[in-house]
Amino acid sequence: MNAYGLAPLLLLFPAVGVLFNGLFGRRFVEADAKVGERWSGWFASLMAISSFVVAVLLFFTLQTNEFHPVVVPIMDWISIPAADFYVPWAIRVDTLSVTMMLVVTGVGSLIHIYAIGYMHGDPNFSRFFTYFSLFIFFMLILVSGSTYLVLFVGWEGVGLCSFLLISFWFDRKNAAGKAMNADAGRKAFIVNRVGDFGMVLAMFLMAWTFRSLEFDTVFETAVEMFKTNHIVQFGLFSAPISVVITAITALFLLGATGKSAQIPLYVWLPDAMAGPTPVSALIHAATMVTSGIYLIVRSNVLFEIARESGPVIFGVISTPDLVALIGASTGLLAGLIAFTQFDIKKVLAYSTVSQLGFMIAAAGMGAYVAAMFHLVAHAFFKALLFLGSGSVIHGMEHGHHHLLHDHSHAEDHEAVFDPQDMRTMGGLRHRMPVTFWTYLIGALALSGIPPLAGFWSKDEILAHANEHAQVVYVVLALAAVCTAFYMGRQLHLTFFGAPRHAAAEHAQESSRLMTVPLIALAALAAVGGLLNLPFLTTRMAEANHHHPAGVFVGLESWLEHSIAAFELTEAGTIHLPHTPIVLSPVVAGISTLLALVALGGAFYIYRNKPETAADPDPLQRIKPLWWFRILPLETFYMKFVVPPFKWLADWLAFAVDWNFWHDFVHNNIIRDMFVSFATFLADVFDKFGVDGTVNGIGSLTKGLAGAIRRTQTGFARTYALGVFLGAVALLVYFLWVLY
Amino acid sequence: MGNPIIFLLLAIVAIGSAIGMLTSHNAVHSALYLVLNFATIGVFYIVLNAPFIAMVQITVYAGAIMVLFLFVIMLLGAEQLRGVTDVHGGERFHRAVAGLLAAVLLLSSALLLFQSETPAATAPMLDTSPTALGLHLFSGYVFPFEVTGLLLLVSMIGVFIFGKTKKRGKDA
Amino acid sequence: MPEVTIDWYIALSVILFTIGSLGVLLRRNAIIIFMSVEMMLNSANLAFVAFARYLGDLDGQVLVFFVITVAAAEVAVGLALIVAIFRTKKSINIDDMNLLKG
Repeated sequence: MNAYGLAPLLLLFPAVGVLFNGLFGRRFVEADAKVGERWSGWFASLMAISSFVVAVLLFFTLQTNEFHPVVVPIMDWISIPAADFYVPWAIRVDTLSVTMMLVVTGVGSLIHIYAIGYMHGDPNFSRFFTYFSLFIFFMLILVSGSTYLVLFVGWEGVGLCSFLLISFWFDRKNAAGKAMNADAGRKAFIVNRVGDFGMVLAMFLMAWTFRSLEFDTVFETAVEMFKTNHIVQFGLFSAPISVVITAITALFLLGATGKSAQIPLYVWLPDAMAGPTPVSALIHAATMVTSGIYLIVRSNVLFEIARESGPVIFGVISTPDLVALIGASTGLLAGLIAFTQFDIKKVLAYSTVSQLGFMIAAAGMGAYVAAMFHLVAHAFFKALLFLGSGSVIHGMEHGHHHLLHDHSHAEDHEAVFDPQDMRTMGGLRHRMPVTFWTYLIGALALSGIPPLAGFWSKDEILAHANEHAQVVYVVLALAAVCTAFYMGRQLHLTFFGAPRHAAAEHAQESSRLMTVPLIALAALAAVGGLLNLPFLTTRMAEANHHHPAGVFVGLESWLEHSIAAFELTEAGTIHLPHTPIVLSPVVAGISTLLALVALGGAFYIYRNKPETAADPDPLQRIKPLWWFRILPLETFYMKFVVPPFKWLADWLAFAVDWNFWHDFVHNNIIRDMFVSFATFLADVFDKFGVDGTVNGIGSLTKGLAGAIRRTQTGFARTYALGVFLGAVALLVYFLWVLY
Repeated sequence: MGNPIIFLLLAIVAIGSAIGMLTSHNAVHSALYLVLNFATIGVFYIVLNAPFIAMVQITVYAGAIMVLFLFVIMLLGAEQLRGVTDVHGGERFHRAVAGLLAAVLLLSSALLLFQSETPAATAPMLDTSPTALGLHLFSGYVFPFEVTGLLLLVSMIGVFIFGKTKKRGKDA
Repeated sequence: MPEVTIDWYIALSVILFTIGSLGVLLRRNAIIIFMSVEMMLNSANLAFVAFARYLGDLDGQVLVFFVITVAAAEVAVGLALIVAIFRTKKSINIDDMNLLKG
């Protein structure tokens, strides 16, 4: 079986979804909300599911073809023969990209279905699904591209979709009258620009150094150049290849910190929670924010070369180490901030930042498989948690509506009711059992309780860190404790205790459309660890050696075919033999114990508190901890980065753009120039040049005709003279010629 | 090819009569000058051993054709043109060009003639009696002869048509 | 005493031809123009006959024969034309016949 040829369909389906919903969706929904929503939502879902089917086919195709990566060309995009520079648009089918495709389309399909229920009744229902399909399309371009440039197209595309979906309710305003959603979308977009700037610079460097942006070519050339200690010429400057590759990877890191919300650019992700919850689940938890990790894992060859190059950055640190440090510190910082949040989605947002930190740290340590494993597992349980929180929000809103409707004593409640505030919840486990149980599974998986998915994936990272980088291990272990604690806090505040608000008393379980994806994701979160069980993997990998085609036995051996786990030697690169992950009992035991303790501690601290919605959080007594609520980096940016920029922007806008550029350059220079030029054209050129030419031709013709007319005298003798003239001329001619 | 004195005498008569024809104001005089010219040329034909052609020249040209001319001139009363003595700029230019061209023609011919050294005639005297000429004509030029006959017929019909006055109807 | 050569005859023929053509170009009386044309034909005839004598060939005389025939036909038609034109224009001034004027 060979399904490589089907790869373009992967992109076609979501594109059809975009067209369908973009062109006809609104008309469908407006014609008949019930039927229209069903068409719009299910069509988009069907397209996502179709892509998923294609991804599954590609998965099996890879297995039967011994995991050989294949590049399926679609078209030539950029070709500059003079510079020998070509960028094709092709789909790269290898184990890494197929893993991402499966996650994107699989989790994406479930969230699509969930969104049909969640977005029910929204006036812009079809717009939402247009953006959703567009996101799937761009995300698939990102993970399927065979060149960095195509990857970047997807990278920007998902950024666009993220912006569109965060500010989906752009007309909503908060109590202060600020359009928070639109602001959040802009913030995400602008912060991501900083990272994209790094991406673009990295690609310039790559195109200059390697004369190509194709993954294979870049990697091969990079290894070759590194072996020969190539010196790269930049006009007047030159730099050894190790420095160049370190720069490229550092710029990649900048891009990844933007997209994957790491220090120092994580500040956009919490605000991005303003978007609809399915968006948070799909884009800001499961897929888009992981593209930074995908980028690093994809570029593992470059990062390994940077590791070999040693501490090039200020002579202190190498890029992969920096990556690991940033990842680990983000993991801890975001975990601490998550303590202090009351918004159910913000807790999850910071949790996402923290978990992304885990993945980034793993990738930085060279544990690419562990990073991908955690990425996949995280996609399962974080999507589940977000969808669960969406279900809770829905239930709370429902309860609130119920209150307003039945009792009409709305004045008893505060004017603005926030259905996302955990302080108003409590005791929801009785009201929303399905949501509660699935949420519990997700929370435990995230906290790293065996045998759920999170335990295996997180432990793999911790085990690797314990072995290779003790500092990172300590930081990550602390972050893991934080994870368990804030999840315990959230669980208790939301589902346990007594309801602290009338809305929570009347909350209602969500519809089947929302609970079924929850259950499916809960199942995935529960058994996701099977993807890469340490002992299972070892055993089956041996069996696999005798199998001619190859069987999926775990991410380790599966991803081995895409990730060059190689060692640089004098003779070249040697691919390291498959090193199975062995479960480290000590590490696993410690982290499980810590997680349980943190969970228990959270439940103990919050056992009865807060009793009402207005009560302070018990943690608020610990002042230093609460300091994190002020969002250290955010405050820093708002105090020291934004004002100068704002001042500069104001100056640019008013002084440069308006006064100088518009008033002076446009009005005085360009307009006046044009006016005088136009006057010249109208009064001089047109009147004398054009009219003169045309009239001149006319009168010339007329005059010539008059002159020639006079030769036609009508007198026979004139014509006879002509004949005679001809005869004499002929005679003279013959005389001249003959004699 | 004849005696030079006779040639010069005849040539002077021929050229003089030609100039006379050209310059006469009276068309009848012109016609008479032309008759003289034709007769002189007929004498040249005799000198050139072409008696039959000479006879035809005298009878047809100097006789029949010129009589026709004179007849028409007198029929129309066109001895002189009436009221056309104006000589305007265009006419002067016309005359200048015509004269120039005539001069060029004469000069170039003279140039040609003075440059070439043509030997005297060495060809034998042929039998140019009407019998010989008729035999030659009908042995080699039967088809042109027939065409000429047709031409005469056509011209005769043409003259009839031109000469017909419209008696019936006034639709012309 | 110089001998009369063919050149003499050609010279005479050219002179007569030139005078004839001047008549055609300068005179305005249609009948005189006609007569000038006849003289041009005659000058050609003279050259033909001279060449026939010079080359010892009867063809020249035969051609003159034809020319005279055609000239006769031409005169007949031409004079009929002049008469016809005179009937409508009451003039034989060639310059009055300028219907081709542009």
